[in-house]
Amino acid sequence: MSAEPKRVAFIAHCLLNQNAKVEGGAKRPGMWEPVIDLLRERGYVIRQMPCPELAFGGARRFWGVREQFDTPLYRRHCRRLAKLVAAVIGQHAGAGDDVVLIGVDSSPTMGVDFTPSAPHWSGKPDIVEDDSTLVRGDGIFIEELKAELAERGLPEPRSTGIRHWFADYDPAEELARLEALLR
Amino acid sequence: MSDLDPRSRRIAVVADSLLEPLLDELDREGFGVIQLPPAGLDPETVAAWLEQTAEHVAEFRRNAYEVVLADDGLYTGELEQALAALGVPPLPQYAIQPPSTSRLTPDT
Repeated sequence: MSAEPKRVAFIAHCLLNQNAKVEGGAKRPGMWEPVIDLLRERGYVIRQMPCPELAFGGARRFWGVREQFDTPLYRRHCRRLAKLVAAVIGQHAGAGDDVVLIGVDSSPTMGVDFTPSAPHWSGKPDIVEDDSTLVRGDGIFIEELKAELAERGLPEPRSTGIRHWFADYDPAEELARLEALLR
Repeated sequence: MSDLDPRSRRIAVVADSLLEPLLDELDREGFGVIQLPPAGLDPETVAAWLEQTAEHVAEFRRNAYEVVLADDGLYTGELEQALAALGVPPLPQYAIQPPSTSRLTPDT
């Protein structure tokens, strides 16, 4: 790491790689450029986090909600990846860099302020209408990352989540929220 | 979620030093990106980063996504080892697109 303090954004994997989304979840062919362009305009170094769902459930995984993913084994998987991310955050923090984190608020794994919930989802995957709800709280990986950072004595980065799958998604609200984060 | 999923099924594994210079081109070509570790990390962190990169690549390859490599040589051998551990052969090199011919027009 160089001695010059940098601005560094740790971003959810799918913001650079829409192919990692659950089938039906991609919004773009390759990357979610509203975030990527803004980070570049503001001079942020991009650090892409792993996609825990892709690595665990595969590219053909079904949609899921927090209650389905919240198992000890999935948490161990997320913690393994969180150790990697925390190690990199630690190196940046040690260099005095300004670190932010951008997740995805419709994700049971990468949600920052919201995460999808449906306690009744189980069994045959034939739900016609998505009747999950978005509840306040972190996704599983974000929880494990915060726990790992705490164990290492590292501060939690300022953070927010992309909400492009919210029914009332407002690009102007999201831009304002991101601009406040990237102050 | 939607049935109209525009994913490209094309992914470039990109060296950190090439990410910024190639982002516009990769976006234009519809590539998703998997970022390789930056220089300056300790060997243990690099190994963990490349291990999860290889897991992602293996899963995409298993599902017939196109995966190419835009490499700067920093971790070539380590990446090949991580891929080989999962039975994935070395990735084909990403072909950098030539500049637009309009940029080659002389100022006359």
